[in-house]
Amino acid sequence: MNRFDLLNKIQNILKDNLVICNIGLPSQELYKINDQPNFFYMLGSMGLSSSIGLGLALSQNKHVISIDGDGSVLMNMNTLATIGNRAPSNYSLLIIDNGSYGSTGDQRTFTDENTSLKDVAIGAGCKNVVECSGDETVNALNKAIDDKDNSYVIISKINSGNVKIDPIPINPITIRDRFRKFIGIVKYL
Amino acid sequence: MKISKKIIDNLKKGGVDFYLSVPCKLLANMIAILENDKDVYYSAVPREEEGMGICAGAYLGNKFPCIMMQNTGIGNSVNAIVSLLQLYQMPVVFLISYRGTPGEPVGAQGGMAKITEDILQTLRIPMLHCSTEKDLEKISTFSKHAKVVESPVAILCDFNLMKDDT
Repeated sequence: MNRFDLLNKIQNILKDNLVICNIGLPSQELYKINDQPNFFYMLGSMGLSSSIGLGLALSQNKHVISIDGDGSVLMNMNTLATIGNRAPSNYSLLIIDNGSYGSTGDQRTFTDENTSLKDVAIGAGCKNVVECSGDETVNALNKAIDDKDNSYVIISKINSGNVKIDPIPINPITIRDRFRKFIGIVKYL
Repeated sequence: MKISKKIIDNLKKGGVDFYLSVPCKLLANMIAILENDKDVYYSAVPREEEGMGICAGAYLGNKFPCIMMQNTGIGNSVNAIVSLLQLYQMPVVFLISYRGTPGEPVGAQGGMAKITEDILQTLRIPMLHCSTEKDLEKISTFSKHAKVVESPVAILCDFNLMKDDT
């Protein structure tokens, strides 16, 4: 299973939640599979999906899923400590761990060598850290959303590999405003 | 404490209700005030760049965020400011302790001080430079300006303004 297969598998869960999606191929693939106004596609700031989702979960009550990658989490590991100490129960971090920098040509990341993001997350203070296969991700995500008392970090181990895909055609302000309209903040759209 | 209280009061008057900090000894009193303020959200964060991300999420969730940090934090955050906050036009207030300005005892702080305003200018971020207590009265209007222009804005607080605020 690669990232595109996994996103296909979890699309029905994602469409009912607020989703912050990582820059590059993850966002492009999600857009192609099933574009929704409640999907915030990152067009820059690699590494910050987990942080953006955390700020959003702290600011309103709907469930938030941050879709991140192993390369991106390696770039911003300090935020696991913030999540470990501050994440509210409406927050789930889904790390799609394919051991490679998919958007830049599938170079190997350190999770393909010695680094375990599960151990890093636990060491950073995160509770409910689940490492699972791609097939087990649907159940893990459902459990995280149903649990109204705890936040979760799910590390979904899959194969590397991408599908051929175009850049996202929506401009950033449209992404921003339709997302905030879904939450109920923007009224003019 | 008088200066720190005035800064927080003016930020709150400007509508800011979500605060993060990466510490500085010049921010210590403000952090102490916020830790005991039940009306607003406050947390420490380990690094300024992730703070920009958390502020972006808070804005999406209808908060008006502020990150407090040393001017060195701007250096840590340039890409996040440009390709997140500015790309999506998100109002965030940067409350910056301006280390390396006159009165600063640590010479090594001078390097970032020399280029801080140039970086902010290059990024086209509106600046409010506070050197005296009177300048602090402009903070609430300046914060509201961030929302009007949908942009991050920077408030720079000089070393000598903050140093005796015990």
